[in-house]
Amino acid sequence: MKRNLLLLIVFVAVFLSDISLHAQISENIWFDGFSRSFFARDAVDKSTIDDTISARNTSNGYNLLDLNIHVNPIKDIEIFSQLRIRNSFGGFFGSGTEINVRQLKAKGIINEKIRFSVGDLFLKQSKFTLYNYDEELSGFENDMLKPYRDIIHYENFYTENRWRLQGIQTDFSFEFDRHIRSLSFDLFVTRPSGSRQINETTYSSDLLLSGGSVFSEINKRLTMSVNYINFFEVASSGTKNVSVRNPIYDMSLIHHFDNEKYRIEQKLQTGFSKRYWLHSQLDNGRSDSTSNDNKGMYFELDNKYIKKDSSLVLTLGYRYVDPNFRSAGAQTRRLNYINGNRNTIYPIYTNMSLIRPPSVFDLVSDDKLYNQELSSVLMVFNPIYSNILPYGDATPNRTGVYLNTIINNKKKVFLTKINTGFFKEVIGQGAAEKREFGFLKGAIKINFHQLLNWEKEISFSASSESEMTRRGGETVSSINLFSHQMNASLNAELVKKFFIQASYKQLNANGNEFFTQRDNYGKITYYTSTQIDQKDHMLSFGMLYKFRENVYANLHYNWWGLKFADQPFSDYKYNRLILILSVKL
Amino acid sequence: MKIKTKIILFMGLVFLLHSCTKQEFEGPLIATIYGDFELIEPLIVTNKNPSFSSNEQVSFHCEFNKPIKWKITILGLSTSAFREITGFSNLIDSNMIVWKGGPSQVPFFAEEDCAIELSFENETDTLRDTITIVSAKNFDDGIWFEDFEGGIPSDGLVYYNNDGGSMTFSVANDNALLGNSYFNMGGRVNWDWVLGNIDLPINMSDVSQNSDDLYINLGILSDLQDLHTGQFINILISEETVTPFNDNPNNNASDLFEPTMEVYKMKVPVDWDDWQLKSFRYSDFEPVSPNNQDINFNMNPADIRAIRITCQACPSSSGNPVCPENFGKNVRTDIDHIIFTANSSLLDQ
Repeated sequence: MKRNLLLLIVFVAVFLSDISLHAQISENIWFDGFSRSFFARDAVDKSTIDDTISARNTSNGYNLLDLNIHVNPIKDIEIFSQLRIRNSFGGFFGSGTEINVRQLKAKGIINEKIRFSVGDLFLKQSKFTLYNYDEELSGFENDMLKPYRDIIHYENFYTENRWRLQGIQTDFSFEFDRHIRSLSFDLFVTRPSGSRQINETTYSSDLLLSGGSVFSEINKRLTMSVNYINFFEVASSGTKNVSVRNPIYDMSLIHHFDNEKYRIEQKLQTGFSKRYWLHSQLDNGRSDSTSNDNKGMYFELDNKYIKKDSSLVLTLGYRYVDPNFRSAGAQTRRLNYINGNRNTIYPIYTNMSLIRPPSVFDLVSDDKLYNQELSSVLMVFNPIYSNILPYGDATPNRTGVYLNTIINNKKKVFLTKINTGFFKEVIGQGAAEKREFGFLKGAIKINFHQLLNWEKEISFSASSESEMTRRGGETVSSINLFSHQMNASLNAELVKKFFIQASYKQLNANGNEFFTQRDNYGKITYYTSTQIDQKDHMLSFGMLYKFRENVYANLHYNWWGLKFADQPFSDYKYNRLILILSVKL
Repeated sequence: MKIKTKIILFMGLVFLLHSCTKQEFEGPLIATIYGDFELIEPLIVTNKNPSFSSNEQVSFHCEFNKPIKWKITILGLSTSAFREITGFSNLIDSNMIVWKGGPSQVPFFAEEDCAIELSFENETDTLRDTITIVSAKNFDDGIWFEDFEGGIPSDGLVYYNNDGGSMTFSVANDNALLGNSYFNMGGRVNWDWVLGNIDLPINMSDVSQNSDDLYINLGILSDLQDLHTGQFINILISEETVTPFNDNPNNNASDLFEPTMEVYKMKVPVDWDDWQLKSFRYSDFEPVSPNNQDINFNMNPADIRAIRITCQACPSSSGNPVCPENFGKNVRTDIDHIIFTANSSLLDQ
C-alpha cells in the first residue's frame, strides 16, 4: 500500500512536471536504467537414455526494461523509483507482461550537513556485522560466464557486498582541528521482513535490523571504526511470544604508513555477538525469560603490503572466530541449500522422477536459487562447493592464517592472483577431534595483445581452486574431503568489438563429510554421513559483441552435466543455447 | 598515541572478557550416532488395562544411546486392528508418546488383547509387551456428528440423477462402519460427472477453533470389483450465512453451494476395497470460486452452515468419453460416520 502510494506520488510528480513545468524537466527529472533480452533453449543431451519423461527441449525468454526515474523536486532532495516492465516470450495479448516497482527511495541532504535516505537501501558495515559475501565458485571465474553472474547479481540486488534492505538511513560527519581529525556517523533502521499472517489467528513478528557506525580518523596514520548492529523481532507486532535478539559489537583499528613506492596497512579487528530468543508476555504473569543463549567473539589481524604501481598486493592475516559467534547480517548466505529449493531448469529428471541435485551450471546460471533475506540461524551449505569458509570470513568455529597475493605485470601482460589459507576448527563438531582445512586458489590471465602490441584483444585465463578438509580420530567420525575446481577460457577479438569466446569449467569432489542438521534455534541435532564422488562440467562456446562498456550481445552454447560415482543419483547431461542482449541506459 | 594505546588496551580487554568457548565439541557425538545401538532403558508401557471409553490412555517410555527411527506397532489380536506410532529420537518420552485407543486405519480396536512391538530401523532389536483393552474407544465425540443411525436426517436433502442405472442413494444396514446404518452413494451415469449428493445443514456457531484445528472425518466404503478408476467424492463446505439452507424447496438440493457463495471443497479419489476412515484439516480445503473477487474467503469454522458430499466419476460414454475404459462400470462411494473434530483427526483423538 505504501509502495503504491509512493509510486503514485512519483507518477504525479513526473506527469505534473511534464504539464506545468516543462522548462524545468531536464533539470528536475532524469532517467536512466537497464534493459535485457534473454532467450534460452535447454535440451536433454542426446546421450541421455534414462529420461523419457522430461521434455527433450524447452525454451523460454523475456524482455525487460528497468526504467529509473530520478526526480529532484528541490535541490537537496531526490526521489528515485525503478519501474520494471517485463514481458515473457509467448505471453498472449500481454498476459505474460508484468509491471512492478522494483525500487523506491527518497534521499537528500538536510542543511547541507546531514544526509538521509528512506526506502530501498543497500547497506554494508564490517565483515562481521553486515556484509553480503560473494557466493561460492565466483571468485576466480572467467569472463565468459560474466553475463550469467551479472544477471544473478542484478536480479538479487547484490551490489558491492551490500544487503538490500528497506528502511531509513542517515550519515553525517565532523572535522576537528585537535585531538582527532574527523568523526563520521552512519545510522540506520530497517525492516528486513514485516509481520505476516501464518494462518487465521497466527501472525509472525516484524523483523528489524538497526545499527550504527562511527568512523574516526585519529591522525594521519591511524583510523578507528566502531560498529553496532542488532537483528531482532518485535514480539508485539505478531502473535508469537518468542522473538530473536542478535546484537553484535565490532571495533577495528587501521594503521598505515606509506612512501613513494609502497603502502603498508595493518588492521586489527575484534568484537563479539550475543544471540538469544526472548520469551515475553508469558502466562500467569511470569516474567520474561531467554533461551538458546549464544555468546561468541572474533579477532582478526590483517596486514597489507601494496606497491603503488599496482604490481603487487600482499595480504597476510590471522583470524579467530568463536564457535558461538552469530551474526545474521554477515553469516546469511546467498545460496541456500535447504530442501525444496529446486533448480529452475529440469528440476525433476530420470524416469524415476528424481529431484535433480544442483550442479556448477545451476549455481552459475540460476538466479532463482539465490537468497535475499537475512536469516537468524546458520543456513545450509554444500561442502562440495564451499566447506572451509561457507559463511565468508565470519564463518564460526574457525581459526587460522591466510595469505593473498595479487601480482600484475607492469604492461598488464600477466595478471595473477593467489590465495591460500590454513584453518582449523576451534572445537570439534560431533567429535573431540577438529577438522583441519587448507585451500590454495590461483588464477592467471595472459593478455597476448599486450605482449604482441596488437590492437585487438586476445587473452587466455585459467584458474585452479583446491579445498582440503581432514579430520582424524575414530574411523567412524574421520573426514577426508578434497574438491578441485578448474577454469580455462579464451577470448579473441576477431574484428573490432566482436569476440569469439570459449571456456571450460570443471569441479571434482571426492571423499566424505558429515552434513549437519540444525533445529529452529540453530542447534546441531544430527549429522548425516555422506560419501562424495562427483564431477561437474560446463563447456561453453560463443560470441560476444561489445557495443560499448555495459552494452553487449552474447550468443553462447553450453554443454553441462554432472557425473556421480557410487551414489544413488543418476548422472545427467544437458545443453543450452542462450542469447543475452544487455543494455545499460 | 595515548588514545591508540587506550583503544588497544580496551580491545584486549574485550578479547579477554569474551574469550574462547570452553566446550570440547558441539552437537551430538558422531561416534554415538554411527556406533552400535544400545538400549539404555527398556520399554515401559503404562496402563496395561486401558479403558479408552473413559478417556484413559497408554504411554510409552524407552531410551537408547542414539537418535534412530523407531516404530511402535499395536496389534489387536482379535480384530487385527493396528496402530503405528513412529519417531526419530533417542528417547521415547511418556509425556509425548501416548496412545488413546484409535487405530491407524479401520478396523477399530475392540475389547481385546493387543500385542505391542517396538522396533528400530536397521537394527535387529525388537522389544515386545502386551496390554488388554478393558473398554474400546468411542468415536462419536465430536463437534458435529452424523451416523445415519436414524436414517437420512429430516432436514437433509438427497439428489441423484434419476436417469442413471443401479442408483443407490439411500440408507443401508448391511455393512456399516460403526453402528448399524450407513449411506449408499453409487450407481452408473456414463455420460456425466455427477451421480448425486447428500446435503446436510450444520450449525457450528459455538466453535472457537480456527481452520487449522478443525478436522472433517468420514468413513468411505468402496470395493475393487470392476473398479471405476475415475470415481471420487467431493466434500463441499459452505460458509454462506445469509441464504437459508433450503431456500428453494422446489429443488432437491441445498441452496448454499452456489458459485457466488463462500464454499470450500476437497476432492477425494476413491480406489480401495472396504471401509477407510479419511480425515482432512479444514484449512486444506480450497475455495470453489477462488477468482470471484466478490467473495471474501476468510475461512471461519463458526460460519459453517452446510456440508455436501457428492458422488462423482469421470464420464465414459461415446457422447463424453473422458474415461472410455470405465464404460458400464458401477460407481461405489458409500459413506458413514461424518464427524467434525477439534485439534486432531478422529483416530488421533
